[in-house]
Amino acid sequence: MNEDNLQNSKILLVEDEESLAEGLLFNLSEEGYSVVWVKDGKKALEQFDSQPYDLIILDIMLPYINGFEVAKYVREKSPMIPILMLTARTAVHDRVRGLEIGANDYLTKPFHLQELLARVKGILRRKSWYQSAVESTSTYQFGENEINFADFSCRSENKKFRLTQQEAMVMKYLIQKKDKIVSREELLEKVWNISSEIETRTVDNFIARLRKYFEPDTKKPVYIKSIRSAGYMFVERPSS
Amino acid sequence: MRKKYSQAYAIILFILAQVACFSLLGLWIARFVANYVILKRIGEQYSINIQAGGAVAIFVIGLVLLVAMSVGMLLIFRRLRLQYKLTKLYDNFIANVTHELKTPLTSIQLYLDTLTVRDISRSKQLKFIEFMQRDANRLNKLINAILEIARLEKKKNRFHCSVYEADHILKEIIEEIVQQIKLPQGTITITGEAHCNCVIDKSAFKILFNNLVNNAMKYSTDILKIYINMQCSPKKCVIEFQDQGIGFSVNEKKRIFDKFYRVNHPDDPDVRGSGLGLALVKEIVKYHGGKIRAYSKGLNQGATFRIELPVYPASKRHHLNKLLKSSTY
Repeated sequence: MNEDNLQNSKILLVEDEESLAEGLLFNLSEEGYSVVWVKDGKKALEQFDSQPYDLIILDIMLPYINGFEVAKYVREKSPMIPILMLTARTAVHDRVRGLEIGANDYLTKPFHLQELLARVKGILRRKSWYQSAVESTSTYQFGENEINFADFSCRSENKKFRLTQQEAMVMKYLIQKKDKIVSREELLEKVWNISSEIETRTVDNFIARLRKYFEPDTKKPVYIKSIRSAGYMFVERPSS
Repeated sequence: MRKKYSQAYAIILFILAQVACFSLLGLWIARFVANYVILKRIGEQYSINIQAGGAVAIFVIGLVLLVAMSVGMLLIFRRLRLQYKLTKLYDNFIANVTHELKTPLTSIQLYLDTLTVRDISRSKQLKFIEFMQRDANRLNKLINAILEIARLEKKKNRFHCSVYEADHILKEIIEEIVQQIKLPQGTITITGEAHCNCVIDKSAFKILFNNLVNNAMKYSTDILKIYINMQCSPKKCVIEFQDQGIGFSVNEKKRIFDKFYRVNHPDDPDVRGSGLGLALVKEIVKYHGGKIRAYSKGLNQGATFRIELPVYPASKRHHLNKLLKSSTY
């Protein structure tokens, strides 16, 4: 997808503060995006169900249904649609919670316009990177495991399960860089588009979950290895 | 996580300490009585007159000390619970105030960035400036509410009270609020008449009604409707302010006037607010020597705030004279 295609993206903006929403609506529209604005969580779900979107910009403190619940609902229905959370909360556990529910990125209030626009572009670009990567190789096998990156469905030995979008993107990135060390910071920057100054605990939580899915023994991982003080490395064919 | 369980942990510890204290007391009594019975029997057997006076004194002192320990523990426990409640409210306040401060700030920041980087028409510029002014006002109101409540609590606020006919002054204040926030005609219905004198600070009562109206606006899911009834009895002026908002549950009734507390449930149509509005209302009524109570038939059934003000000079004359005297300086 080129820049022009990115500009035609449809964005669902969920923000209860009129003045902030008007400003965002104006700026996003000026960038060429097609934006629909809703004021509360209930309307966000209705709007999400009514038509496809390329990105959801979601406030957390919303009337009726909060942003975390909206994100959860969206993730259950569509693992692919990117979510950018806007939040006044700066506590690490809030940020981690948002990311773990399935937000692709977050921005704490107050933010600069340029930063917001850069993040929106980054998310849409990553979505397009992922889609093109999936188109070239939609399924990937290693050991007893198989991942379908198109619909996030997985098979490990006899178990069948589904990854979240973020988990799939982490796996995709690790697989693309197989046999090379990937630092936590790199994962945060490339998959979440988050500057690495924040807690890297989020990455560790994701890796722990991925190991539960794919490793025969999570205490002795053979596919997703920890490299001390450096990060992680995906190994397709572990040495016996 | 640890914080979540800290109250249950404190309660269990307290119960265990009390059980230990009273078990010791029980054992001690049983032991003392048993020893006393044995000694008495021996005394009877050998015809010795055993005096237990000293032992009884020690026993009584011991009992008093144990009960004192138990009461001490109870007091410490109550203080801890209060502290816990305050910490929880404080956390709530920080979360709400963070939201309330950061949101208008974000909006102002966004419009400043927009005006800096984009070439936009004059009409759009004016619209954005209006948004910024609105947000700056919101910030100003929040900061004032925080300062106001702090001053009221420390009794450092100086109001300018005068004796007014309640009916006249209250209707005037309400009319000013209707004009100020541009409420549509018929939103507020006033019934009853209050032809009695009250000692009132006009600006404080404007804050009071502003907060009640704002509250009704925030928590009304349907068209905003407010009913105000005023009545006078020989000693008090009663104002009933009724909205048709989401109301509150019986459990929340006790807490809605607490500083930083906010009614929170899934039908909440608005998440804005610092949790200071009703606390401020209560402090203002209290300052005027009055009382405030809130009623609701339950969630989604509206709320009624009943304010009772002392009639001057029939009631609370000393307090009201003090207010009038301090207002003249």
